[in-house]
Parts: sequence; structure tokens; C-alpha cells
Amino acid sequence: MAVKDYDVLIIGSGASGGMAAHTLTQKGIKCLMLDAGPLVDFNRDRVLKPVYELPYHGFGKPGRLPHVLQANEFNANQWVDETQVPYTHDPKEPYNWVRVRMIGGKSLFWARMSFRLSDYEFKAKDHDGFGDNWPIGHDDLAPFYSRVEPIFRVSGRKEGLRQLPDGNFVEDNSPDGEAVKRFSAAAKERGIVVTKMRRSLGRGQFASSFNLLLPDALATGNLTIVPDAVVRDITVDKNTGLVNGANFVDRHSRREMHAKARVVVVGASCLESTRILLNSGIANSSGALGHYLHDQFYISQSVQAVMPEARGASGGRGFGGGYIPRFRNLETKAKNFIRGYALDFSMGGTPDAKYYPLYGEALQKAMDADRGTGFSCTTMGEVLPRYENKVSIDKNVSDAFGIPALHFQCRYSDNEFNMAKDAIATMEELCHACKWEVLARHDKMFPPGYSIHELGTCRMGDNPKTSVLNKWNQSHDVKNLFVVDGSSFVTGGSQNPTMTILSLSMRASEYLAGQMRAGNV
Amino acid sequence: MKRRRFVQSLLAAPAAPAVLAPVVLAQQSPATRPPAEEPKIEATAADQVADAVPRFFNAQQFAALRKVSEILMPPINGAPGALEAGAPEFLDFLIGESPADRQLVYRTGLDALNSQARKQFGKPFAEVDAAQAEALLAPLKQPWTYDPPAEPLARFLAAAKQDVRTATMNSREWNAAAPSGGGRRGGGTGLYWNPI
Repeated sequence: MAVKDYDVLIIGSGASGGMAAHTLTQKGIKCLMLDAGPLVDFNRDRVLKPVYELPYHGFGKPGRLPHVLQANEFNANQWVDETQVPYTHDPKEPYNWVRVRMIGGKSLFWARMSFRLSDYEFKAKDHDGFGDNWPIGHDDLAPFYSRVEPIFRVSGRKEGLRQLPDGNFVEDNSPDGEAVKRFSAAAKERGIVVTKMRRSLGRGQFASSFNLLLPDALATGNLTIVPDAVVRDITVDKNTGLVNGANFVDRHSRREMHAKARVVVVGASCLESTRILLNSGIANSSGALGHYLHDQFYISQSVQAVMPEARGASGGRGFGGGYIPRFRNLETKAKNFIRGYALDFSMGGTPDAKYYPLYGEALQKAMDADRGTGFSCTTMGEVLPRYENKVSIDKNVSDAFGIPALHFQCRYSDNEFNMAKDAIATMEELCHACKWEVLARHDKMFPPGYSIHELGTCRMGDNPKTSVLNKWNQSHDVKNLFVVDGSSFVTGGSQNPTMTILSLSMRASEYLAGQMRAGNV
Repeated sequence: MKRRRFVQSLLAAPAAPAVLAPVVLAQQSPATRPPAEEPKIEATAADQVADAVPRFFNAQQFAALRKVSEILMPPINGAPGALEAGAPEFLDFLIGESPADRQLVYRTGLDALNSQARKQFGKPFAEVDAAQAEALLAPLKQPWTYDPPAEPLARFLAAAKQDVRTATMNSREWNAAAPSGGGRRGGGTGLYWNPI
């Protein structure tokens, strides 16, 4: 029998699970990692194809992946099949749950925007009175951010902003182009800061757990990875009340298995982690498990403009882009919303044909004239964590493995809608100030979940009656159970959460290692 | 040791004596020879040797779709237009495979186009002249809005403008005319994920 008792069972191999493995194995702790997806061979599983050879010529199979707006016919197979692993919601309140199941998880495909949270998020309640503070502040997490950032090779320009703390960057001091300078000047007059995008450079083609964390963990000899292992639930020792492993299903054969460990670390992605805990019936004495679901609302191409001065320019297309960190509700108060939003913008593209009130040859002429002159931005707004936005188990629906599905109840509120209106009006004003031609604008956000930044539902806090985890990502109820992904967030701000997830996982894992060494866990 | 791993280990061992490889290979049966020895059979895509058979739209709807496709995406600068690219035939297939709401947009829109043409000019859309067609396509001169137009004809035209363009630019014919392409959305090439 090959069955072993491992020190730690890690569920999930993405950013959070990968960082847990990276940290724990280097401290000599024997880890078993289960992931619901396959170990991908990127040379075998991906192949170059011309679009006309695809069955639907790039349109995608109609009706497939209705919630995954990011999917196209090239990448459709990389996303979780919604018919195999379904979830439910009221048709009037859609939630776009976008999932990846493979070794490396979503860290294989993220947009790499790499930011820290600030104390405007960690101590948000102190600032505006809404919700709860995190049990930690930026000072607690800063040493871990500073160690995570070099692993992922985060590039950025130091600005000294309170709302967007600087990182341990691969410094990007490249000069801004003229269009960015003009835009930045118009922004500055309005008290808005424009900075370089902060982005994980990674190594090779990825900035992922797959290539930056798991290889080092495997090299220690302390990590065993089992792909295609779909965790059904976490098991509990009835005598001690401690968790002792997990039941899982082999993805291909549907064979039921059980793995044992002294400690369980859950990093299966925000909502899969919560689903596992709910299906396990553990860690919920607070009743908070599943609640406070939030993310960031996204509005893609919220303002689409043309820079007329760039028309007719030959060569040198591409004017760069940048990032506008939150500027609302810092020193002053917006009239009809709290918190804030960020924007990223790019210059140098060509606006889509749909924005032109033309067709045929006239359309093509207009697009040729505007080629490379476009300005486009995406709005990313903070969504307030509310108790009533939640996931629960749908007892009537199970997935292909017989595991009960999640039911979503989540909607945005006036705070988000008002914020979106402000964002679009501000960006339009900036474009006009730059004397750019605004082709289109809209403040229609995608359904919740679209940003793939789902957060909360297993939040941390000092009070065991209102939170699931303590400040070390450790269950209040079960001391040998840790949850290290985005589900632990109290608030999410407007920043991409990946750097924070990685840093929380590293911090929690080092704490866990210390507790194991001391014999406390 | 499994055979695949064994062969891999041989390939990965540069210091192995050169005479070993032919001996090992000679011991293998034809069925287990490395893939490189298997024949490569060339195949041809169906649409290179056959024409698509429209099945979804009725004759009047399809005639209107061909006409509107030709107007929305004519041949420009040596690139094939929608008709040369077979865009109407492809859209007949695509819309026929689509959810009911998308089918409804096309069917009601094409019917509206024909009824408007008969009402204003006494003939179906396929037979109107250029000036008459321009009058009927006036909704496309309206500024873009995030939410699609409520009126059936305007809603159809907004959808067709995008779909005809994409079907044309993603066609084999477009790719052949502009091999450098314009990326994935312009008859280009992309990394396709096999089922995992």
C-alpha cells in the first residue's frame, strides 16, 4: 500500500496552494497536494491553428460556457465545463463564476497586474465606518509582499502613494510617451495620479505557481502532487474534532479515495474552498461561511476615444498605457458612494468597428485612418462586502462527481453603480481635456464574478462569532485547518488581489510551520 | 520501466554508446516503433472541396442575408468581401446552431428588412438598388449604444455588422488574400487548446 500520512494536505495548486507548498516544503514539511485538474503538457495540449480551421471560425460553439465571457474558440477547453461542474443562481441575478482546473490553476492565465493593498483597505472601517477592518494591516503583510514580489518579478515605478504602497520592484523607469504625459498632466490638474502598470514579469511564458513555486517545492523532495483529484470533503477525527484528511474522486475513473494528513491547508480558489468547507460541515460556528462575497466590478472599454494627433503617423504605433490608482474618498468624500475605483488604460490600438456609425467601404476607410490612434480604458471598482451577498449549497444540484453545487445570491448595489457613473464621467472629462474624440462611453458593468477576483466567504477576523478564520488564516473552530486563498479577504479594494493572496499564504504557512515545530498543531 | 519512459531515458542519455540505439529499435515490433516512423497522411478540410448547404434561413431570408452581407463587407483593397468569403453560408450554419434568442434576432431582422423593402420600394431587399438599400440600412448610422437596439431591424443590423465582418475576416479566403493577417481576429493563427 502506498498510503502515507503526510504532514500537510494542500488542496489546490494555484497561487495560494502553490505558495503554501513553496513555503512549507522548504521548512522540511512533507506535503501532499491534490488538484482537481490535470497536469498540462503545454506542448502537447496546445497547438497553433488558423482560425478558419476551427469548427466555428473563431465565434465559438454557440451556447458553450455562457458565463465565461473571456472564453473564445481557441481557449474554450482551458475553462471548467459548466455542464460538468454546474452552479446555480436566480436567472435575474447572474453570477459569472469563471474557473480553471489544472496544475497551476488560474495563475497560468491571470493578467499579472500586481498590487499591494493599503490600509485604506485593511483598515477600511476606520476610514469610512462601513463593514469591518482586517485583523492585520499593511505593516503586517509588507515583509511578505516584499518577498513575494521578487519571486514573481513585479515591475513598477515607485510613487510613494498611501493608497497603493510601493513594492520590491524590478524598477520601471522607462520614459512615458507624449500621449501618456498629456493624459497624466490633465489628470494631475484634477488630483488624479497616473502611474506605470505594476505587473509580474515572471519567467518564460508564465508568471504562475506552475513555474515559479511548484518546481522549487518539488526540488525539496517534500512535495507530492496528485492531479485529477477532485476533493469531495475534508474529514474530521470524531475523537479530537481535528481534520485528518480529505475524500476525493479521481477525475477520470470516478474512483473514491481518501488521503490522510496532520494538517489541511485549503487553497482551492475562493469559492471552491468555501464549497469544500460547506460540504464538509466544518469551520462554521460563526455562520459567516459563505457570506460577504465580493469582487471588483469591471467595465471594459468604458471610454473609447481616438487621439486625432496620431492619425497618419507612420510606424511607432503603440503609445503605451498606465494605471490610475484609487483617488476618490481618500482625503475628500464623494457625494454618493464610499470607497473607490482604479482604471487601466492603453493607447495605440484601433477602435472596434462597432463604435463607428458606418459600414462597408466608409467604415473601412474610417478605421484605416484611425489605425493605432485609439484610447481605451477599463474601470475596476471596489465592491462592498455585504453579508447578504453569499454562496450556499444547492441540495438539488450536484456536479458530475456527485458533489453538491454552489448556489449564488449576489448583486451589486447603488454604491457600485454610482461609482461606475463617476468613473466614466471622469475618464470622459480627461479625454476631452486632452482634446481626444470620444467615440463611445458606457457604465454597464459585467455581472458579478466577471473580474475573476471573487473574494470573501471565509473571511478572517479577530472575533470568532463573525469570522471564519483568525489573522493567521487558521480556522477559529479547527486549529489544524487553514484557508489561504482569496476567500479569507475582508475587503478587496480595487486592486488585483493576487499579490495579497500570495503574501497571505506565505505568512500563514510560515506561522503554520512554526506552530507545527512547537507542537501546537 | 514502461516503454515510453524507457525510450525517453535513452533519448535523454547523451553519453550512451551510439551502437545501442539501433539494437534496441531493431527489437521493437512495428506496432511499437516510435511515432516518427509512422506514415503521415495528408488530409484536406471539407470546405476546400465542397460548398456549404444553407439550411436554416428560408429562401427570402437567405437572399436578404446575402445582399446585406455584400453591402456591409464588400471587397476592399484586394481583400475578399463577404460573398467571396462565404460569410452568408457560414452564418446560416452558425445561427442555426445558436440559442433561440440569437436565431430570433436574425429571423425577425431579415423578415423586417424584406417587409420594409416591399413596403417602401415594392420588392424584397435582395432586389433593391444601392440608394434604396442605404435608406433601409439607416439604423446603422446611429451612434453605438451598449445595449442593443430594441427595434428588430436595428438590432439585427447591429449584430450582422459584427458577425458578417468576423465571418469574412476569419475565413480561409481572407487568410489566403492577406497571409500576414491581423491577428486572431483577422484571419490569423492562435494557440488552440485541445480537450484536457
